[in-house]
Amino acid sequence: MKRKGFRSLALTACMTAMVPFVWGCGDSTDGKIEVEIVQYKPEAANYFKTVEDAFNATHDDIHLTISSPNDAMAILKTRFIREDYPDIIGIGGDINYSYFVDADILADISGYEGMKDVNEGYLEIAEALELVPVDGTYILPYAANAAGVLYNREMFEQHGWQIPETWDELTALCDEIAAEGILPFYFGFKDTWTCLAPWNAMAVELAPSDTTKQVNKGLTTFTDEYGELAEKYMALLPYGPDDPFAYNYNDACTAFARGESAMYPIGSYAAPQILSGNPDLKMDSFVMPASDGKEDRTLNSGIDLGFCVTKDCKNKEAAYEVLNFLYEDDTLQKYIDAQTSVPCKKGSFTLPVILDGMTEFIASGNMTDYQDHYYPSEMSVDALLQTFLIEKDRDAFLKNFDTSWQRYNRDIIRMVQEYEAAHGSAQ
Amino acid sequence: MTKHENERKRTFLLITIPILALFICFNTIPLIRGAMYSFTNSRGFGSHDWVGLRNYIDLFSDTRVGKSYLFTIKLALVTTIVVNVLSLILALGLNSKIRAKGFFRGAYFLPNILGALVVGYIFNYFFTYIVPALADMTGMEGLRSSILSSPSKAWIGVMIVCAWQAIAMNTIIYISGLQTVPEDVYEAGGLDGATGWKQFKHLTFPLIIPFFSINMVLCVKNFLMVFDQIIALTKGGPAQSTESISYLIYNNGMSGGQFGFQSANAVVFFIVIVVISVAQMKFSSSKEEQL
Amino acid sequence: MKQTSTVGKSNKTVMVLLILGLSTIIFPLYMTVVIAFKQPSEMTNSISGILSLPKVWSLQNFREAMEVTDFWNSLKNSLLISGLTVGLSILIHSLMGYTLGRNKSSKFYNFVYLFIVSGMFVPFAILMMPLAKQTAEMGLANWVGVILLYVVFYMPMNIMLYSGYLTNIPLALEEAARVDGASTWLTYWKIIFPIMKPMHATVAVITALAVWNDVMTPLIIMAGSSENTLPLAQLNFQSQFGTNYNLAFASYLLSLIPILVFYVICQKQILNGVVNGAVK
Repeated sequence: MKRKGFRSLALTACMTAMVPFVWGCGDSTDGKIEVEIVQYKPEAANYFKTVEDAFNATHDDIHLTISSPNDAMAILKTRFIREDYPDIIGIGGDINYSYFVDADILADISGYEGMKDVNEGYLEIAEALELVPVDGTYILPYAANAAGVLYNREMFEQHGWQIPETWDELTALCDEIAAEGILPFYFGFKDTWTCLAPWNAMAVELAPSDTTKQVNKGLTTFTDEYGELAEKYMALLPYGPDDPFAYNYNDACTAFARGESAMYPIGSYAAPQILSGNPDLKMDSFVMPASDGKEDRTLNSGIDLGFCVTKDCKNKEAAYEVLNFLYEDDTLQKYIDAQTSVPCKKGSFTLPVILDGMTEFIASGNMTDYQDHYYPSEMSVDALLQTFLIEKDRDAFLKNFDTSWQRYNRDIIRMVQEYEAAHGSAQ
Repeated sequence: MTKHENERKRTFLLITIPILALFICFNTIPLIRGAMYSFTNSRGFGSHDWVGLRNYIDLFSDTRVGKSYLFTIKLALVTTIVVNVLSLILALGLNSKIRAKGFFRGAYFLPNILGALVVGYIFNYFFTYIVPALADMTGMEGLRSSILSSPSKAWIGVMIVCAWQAIAMNTIIYISGLQTVPEDVYEAGGLDGATGWKQFKHLTFPLIIPFFSINMVLCVKNFLMVFDQIIALTKGGPAQSTESISYLIYNNGMSGGQFGFQSANAVVFFIVIVVISVAQMKFSSSKEEQL
Repeated sequence: MKQTSTVGKSNKTVMVLLILGLSTIIFPLYMTVVIAFKQPSEMTNSISGILSLPKVWSLQNFREAMEVTDFWNSLKNSLLISGLTVGLSILIHSLMGYTLGRNKSSKFYNFVYLFIVSGMFVPFAILMMPLAKQTAEMGLANWVGVILLYVVFYMPMNIMLYSGYLTNIPLALEEAARVDGASTWLTYWKIIFPIMKPMHATVAVITALAVWNDVMTPLIIMAGSSENTLPLAQLNFQSQFGTNYNLAFASYLLSLIPILVFYVICQKQILNGVVNGAVK
């Protein structure tokens, strides 16, 4: 009877033993060099599918795979931990990029020839994202987005409203719109991240672009830098719906698409979602004015998608070949059309219609990166903002911002200060 | 007899060892490896430093973590009670002599299959547009604005959705429990004149106590670890009032760069749930023995 | 507090209450179906817009959803993973549940029971990274790994269910077989295993459902492989900057069908309880 008892043991053992045999199919390379891209924008999956097909159709020596998974950051992190690096990753210019550079995962691609075609403004933005200055370039900026105010063009033409260029003009316009019985703004603050859109758009004008770095160096506090910003943000609230915290991003997009409000302070990335609710909507955008100086205005724009080559990538030449293909004018133009974004490459591109109001800023390079690209996501500044907008207690909010910042950035601040001590405060 | 005893013992041991090994391999070992991160400042990738007990010390002074524990425990307690009362009633109903039993059982099972996105989306609509409109019509002031936009009331919305989805599974467990109650118990009880509530209290319920305790443990555990519903419904808002512990661990640890710290949170959280559940099981098994 | 009488005919009051209760289920289901047929431009924020029927009943959304999710392939993967997990769970967990349920007086087995059951409370987030690493090291970063993990993940709950069920199955049954000279192993498969049929059905339903809808495990374990399960493929519909709810809902409705059919089959088994069988 002992034999029978062994059967269960044998069963489990067999199950574990057969595993390596089941696994391991696929991966046949036919002598081609495999290049794999993981990019983090699932909404661009269709575009990247066509790029993948087009590339493979024209290249005999390289086989390209592009995956556009949802929750790409979690996937990338789990793959990094098992040391299974894709050759190229497509990510945004935000704090994750800073972490990846710091973790020494990315390769220096300053030797890549395409770098010379990149709009310098975006290279500077990428540079600024490094936690402490590092030699070399680690990202090829591909496309940028811009945030400001989207407006309903037909409505504006009908009523003869003018595009505001100062803060006072903006509030006057809002009063005028409200007087006609139309809602000036729509907000979808139930999704906390949307709270960041107006915040970022005004912050570029009201706070120094390197606020977070100054704080890390111990030179200033958020209470000092964000006071006016918080004040003005509160002033916008009455121009929105009664209970903005009840509506999510989707609701707000739908409402704006159906003409329930004249304006919607959000980024260019919202265009496809808005148009899906009303394909006939005519909309345009303008830079959010936040102070009284017309010439102080600057466009809130940052790297929405850039490509990084990982250190682990075995064949840099092949990776560069893929980058070349992605960076061709035609390929990039298609991306811009599909995603309503701004190219990071110099040259003549046709910008999406909804960015008409921002073109002069883009052309002249008058752009400043999003403040939130420097915020660590675990600090949940979006949720802090939502709390602030609900409770309307400016001082408590700023105080909390300062204390939370110190807590969540402890290791970074230490790193920055060690760097400063070693290199002197030259900057 | 001793020969049999030995054979029995040996068989049991031979069954236990490989299964236990499998369990240790894919649960205990990764848990220990994960717990190691709680002593580091790891972001989940790249290099990290050992920081000793810093994460644990921080944990007890972190108001956000504290708030998430309060919210989660409140939610778990209330939802567990609501779910168990309702699903016990439902199980009795579905187990009684009714027509179209199969249809009803199938229909009441549906909430459990609908994915979190669907449920979240529909209930968002329900709370944001439909309830306020109904409140307008009936003149109920308190419900005019969406409960999901109020930091003090949003947890009720989460509770309703959790209960709505969980009732199905608890009902199945109760139904399978009711199946173990032999008919003749009722027949004997019927002779003694035990009907309705009395019959339930004295005859049915004592026999399904093991299932009651399983359901209690599962409920408390599931709601303490609530995650999907939060993601689908509130994403922790408004004003961080519905951040559950699991949400915080995942959001800040996996998506954010607080992997080390949230690992410490997860370790503490694990210990808390184990203590609660073991206490529950001890309590209910002592109850079982009494009966 | 409504109670059922066991006497004869169907119970009217219970019926009425059950039908009333159904409205809480029909309403969301109605919305799901309606949304699955609508076009994005028909989605408005007004009550009438939410509740109205689609302008045209077209299967276009379903067709498109099947294409985006590579439906048949994803379905095959989902069926494979769920089916194998359920089969293995019933075999392994019932055996373990039996062993632990019949040795409640032993300190060792009690410890093992608590040890395994406490595994249920491990927050998944803490296991994620180590598991991703470990499965890769073991060459298990594929569907086999996913199944093994599921068998381990649902072991605590299923063992709880099985050993709970055993308390109502008298030891006398086994003793009778033993007198005939059958081994414990054989007695288990010949007598106990068949008796636990309602519990097998319950375990099958609960496990299948959890596996069917799970995103996280395949997401982190199979990340980077080209194979998708249905929930993984359905992630394609949502992103922060836009969600195509109409396609997503159509796809959810499609993936709901297999599991519902499975449930209907299983619940018949739950129904044919132990009562009519050996226990008297």
